[in-house]
Amino acid sequence: MIDNGLLVQMLIGALLGVSVYLPLAAGQLSLATPAFYAVGGTLAALLSTTWPALGAGADGSFPLASFLLELLLGGLLAGVLALLVGRLVLRLQGIYLAIATIALVEIVRVAILNLPFTGGAIGIFGIPQPFPTAAGYLLPALGLLALAGWVCQRLEVMPLGRAMAAIRNDELAARCMGIDTTRVKLTAFVLSAVLAGSTGALAAHFLNTWNARQGSFDTAVTMLAFVILGGSRSWLGPVLGGLLLTALPELLRPVGDVRLVLFGLVILLGPSVFPQGLINPGLLERLGRLGERAEREPQP
Amino acid sequence: MTMPPLLEVQDLTCRFGGLVALDRVSFAVQPGEIFGLIGPNGAGKTTLFNLISGVTTPTAGSVLWRGAPITGLAPHRLNRLGLARTFQNLRLFDGLSVRENLLVALQRRPRSGALAGLLASPSHQQAERQRQETAWQLLEELGLSRLAEREAGTLAYGDRRRLEMARALATGPQLLLLDEPAAGLNPSEKDDLCQLIAALRQRHQLTVMIIEHHVPLLMRLCDRMAVLDFGVRIALGSPEQVRRDPKVIEAYLGSGSVPSASGGAAP
Repeated sequence: MIDNGLLVQMLIGALLGVSVYLPLAAGQLSLATPAFYAVGGTLAALLSTTWPALGAGADGSFPLASFLLELLLGGLLAGVLALLVGRLVLRLQGIYLAIATIALVEIVRVAILNLPFTGGAIGIFGIPQPFPTAAGYLLPALGLLALAGWVCQRLEVMPLGRAMAAIRNDELAARCMGIDTTRVKLTAFVLSAVLAGSTGALAAHFLNTWNARQGSFDTAVTMLAFVILGGSRSWLGPVLGGLLLTALPELLRPVGDVRLVLFGLVILLGPSVFPQGLINPGLLERLGRLGERAEREPQP
Repeated sequence: MTMPPLLEVQDLTCRFGGLVALDRVSFAVQPGEIFGLIGPNGAGKTTLFNLISGVTTPTAGSVLWRGAPITGLAPHRLNRLGLARTFQNLRLFDGLSVRENLLVALQRRPRSGALAGLLASPSHQQAERQRQETAWQLLEELGLSRLAEREAGTLAYGDRRRLEMARALATGPQLLLLDEPAAGLNPSEKDDLCQLIAALRQRHQLTVMIIEHHVPLLMRLCDRMAVLDFGVRIALGSPEQVRRDPKVIEAYLGSGSVPSASGGAAP
């Protein structure tokens, strides 16, 4: 039931979940991820179809090195955009920040729809393939996820990650403890954008076509659902949420039209049964204790 | 030439709309002293702390740090200069453990780069060890070490008060602003707190500014004090001088009564 193509989609969902999680870890409810995802994807789609130096073959093949370069450039462009936009929007708090970032998503969507070189409503198609089958995308997607997870994991024991947690708890107190909260929030926002931009570049090749609908308000809500269902206290939460909620509509396909109703029910019931998400502090603590026990047992 | 005072406020004024919270308040705090701030509710004490710590920007007047102007600097810049504060209503990082609360405040003691942190380089690990060690020392010093791994939000009230002081100390301040540190403590806890503040001043070479409603405690602890009433500084001097000031007696203590410095006040 789960083929390689769906697996790659699930991993993309997980990556986007982590992208929403990063600003949230610093207490910032930003829904800008689809905008950066769209920017990264559009850049990769444009470059690979129009820039001959990247070496797209007439048979639709694409060199691996160029693909990796696009992941880098997609992340970079999204990061620069986040740096510029972040200074402005991060002055806003809470729900106002969420609304401003939704506006950003819409601006990017309308721009991609109307720019003379992005293919309008049809978008860009025939994006060349660095891999012969969908299975080829598994490795770079997993690699990107591993990188994101490693950064999130390191953040927990670094001043930057602690500052993010402090801001989430009490921003004013964090400022009075010497934390440059503007800078920390901006860093989290840029990290989130870089991840979304690279993911977009990967997705553009994987999907073979790219258009303005890839980054819309709907996607923003779906991505937020990844974090809400999975839990926002650890990066593992959005990963699990992204994997599950991307797979679910596909797995429910056999039941026909009811599937979207069932999907909606999961999003609705999930947070009521697990208010802190599937990966919640209680679960993490139990896992921690299990780990300790496993470490103690082998000793005589 | 004499050394400039550690902190000086000159004609500090703060208006919120039509309300004058502080009206041309001036005084200086000398290095090493414990400086008390008293006044009835609404006299502007916490507003004054907010202005000094950069949380609020003054309408007029200036704040000097060792003679240099620092008016309107952001709170984190002021903290890095050596100015740390606690909050009247306790603003701990409730979701973090006691130890993590201190590690947040210790993030620049010593500093370590983000790249070094990501790569877990030896320089990062060395810095991290140092931060952990300082955190433990502070926890020991304030009697919080057995609570190190507890979530800050689950602590008892008195422990929360001490954690706020530990967290402020962790930033390595020269001037510590304590906003009603004894509020809600029982008389014996208040005595302990008094001794603790005096001891901390010694060990960390601190200058302390303290807001407190409990007048006997302040009289015992402070070298000098200022009295605010309706945003105006009505007295300044040693506890003895302030105690005899007729304006203080009238404004703050009510006419006819003189505060007792010998303790035994109502809890």
